[in-house]
Amino acid sequence: MNDPFIVDAHAHLGLPGVFFTPRSGPNHLLQLMDLLSIRFTVLGCDHTTLHEGAGTGLPALRRVHDESQGRIFYLGVFHPAHGPECLAALKESVAWPGFAGVKLHPSFHGTRADDPVYEEAWRFAAEHDLPILAHSWSVSAYNPVQRYSTPERFEAYARQFPQVRLVLGHAGGRGSGRHEAIRMANEYPNVYLDLAGDVFCYRLVETLAEAVPPEKILFGSDFPWIDPRANLSRVLLADIDDRLKRKILSDNAHTVYGIQAES
Amino acid sequence: MEAGINQMSQARRLAAGKLRFFDAGIWLGRATGFPLAGELSPEAIASVLGRSFITGGLVSHWRGKTTSAQDGNLALQAALSNLPENVYTIWTGLPLYLAEPGPLPGQGAPPEKVRGVRVFPKSHNYPLAGWVIGSLCDWLIEHRLPLFIWHVELDWQSLYSLARQFPQLNIVVETQTQKILYHTRPLVALIRQCPNVLVEISNFVGAGFIEYAVEEFGAERLIFGSFQPINDPLVPIGMVIDAEISESEKAMIAGGNMRGLVDKVQP
Repeated sequence: MNDPFIVDAHAHLGLPGVFFTPRSGPNHLLQLMDLLSIRFTVLGCDHTTLHEGAGTGLPALRRVHDESQGRIFYLGVFHPAHGPECLAALKESVAWPGFAGVKLHPSFHGTRADDPVYEEAWRFAAEHDLPILAHSWSVSAYNPVQRYSTPERFEAYARQFPQVRLVLGHAGGRGSGRHEAIRMANEYPNVYLDLAGDVFCYRLVETLAEAVPPEKILFGSDFPWIDPRANLSRVLLADIDDRLKRKILSDNAHTVYGIQAES
Repeated sequence: MEAGINQMSQARRLAAGKLRFFDAGIWLGRATGFPLAGELSPEAIASVLGRSFITGGLVSHWRGKTTSAQDGNLALQAALSNLPENVYTIWTGLPLYLAEPGPLPGQGAPPEKVRGVRVFPKSHNYPLAGWVIGSLCDWLIEHRLPLFIWHVELDWQSLYSLARQFPQLNIVVETQTQKILYHTRPLVALIRQCPNVLVEISNFVGAGFIEYAVEEFGAERLIFGSFQPINDPLVPIGMVIDAEISESEKAMIAGGNMRGLVDKVQP
């Protein structure tokens, strides 16, 4: 067993009502982290917070951080329908242990990523030197709300707030969004891509490694939607240099989310 | 840290090599719905499989869904001479009562190297019901051929009825081409109540799914598939090699179960 060194830069907690999952709690997550040498995990949110915004779930996430002995970090969801309430909660929690940034999910919240309502979330992140993790995907024939989260919809804000590190979760998905995500990761120093979710495209790790700078790719799982084991071996067994694997599995997430190794 | 990465990588290479994966989800032809997917040629199969620790498997053709069952089967026939010895085919089936032109599975002995039949009831516009595909099911049972079906091509009530009506028919529910995750509730009920239903695992990737399924139903109910070259075979390979189950259970999932079905096929 190696000393844990991996950072899972994109996970969740809690029971998602829309499907059965046998493992979704913090103890399950910690067991998997121990099994797979994952030292830290960044929670995009729990499912309550995803539905209701940062005003609801942040105290519970802080407890998860404390009980994990500092291994599980968390983001605050900015829900555009509850902007002022979310912003107040984010301001209150910004100095809490384990608070690591802001989560946006335009598809889930039914509001385009380029909508003016998000500006205050970006401004908050800029003022506090925080990253934003955003759901991103491609236009989908069977899931029309994905069009709210295509990478280029984040572009104006990424340009307006160059000090905010933007992580395009799921690297733009499985279609045209991927090309846009790669373009933005190359064009904007503050744009990053994570591997979380079921972006199971053939040799995606090698494809991204050839397409974007080495500091731009982060390992992520999307637990409990996706087991971390689904994405871990494709990085470890990818035809890329071990130094790049280290960046993907650890270094890049430390940089983006400000996670200190001694945490 | 690089030493740790190298050690973890090497351990996985060794584990994957030992398990002799047998892949029920290899696809030829041009995929639809996956604009960035590449295309696998019959000539490239041997080298592509070897790169991913896969020792054999079952190959299908997209044309069997997108153009017609017959065109897909013809394409597989044409590819036969280029397939490695341990690679077999899954033909596309249709209801038999219409006596449509072939080649179609359902009459006489199974065609050369055919070790399974897949149906696309939604794409090919017929209900998944015994009164429509019952004769095909009878023929599959006669020759001990498994029936494959994507979960996006079925409704759960119909599959439950079919599985109960034909208890000797092995039915492999494939977890493509969208998340099976949102259907885990009916899927678990189906596995629990129908011993002849098996699950292909290329997208069976929710947290703890492998351990849960093995504990609840047994490793014999899981079939390794990759859905390559659309998906990365290292995804389900990673789920198996890191699963908290016994080595013998891993071997069953990796290939033992599907090889067993292949060996049972009667000419």
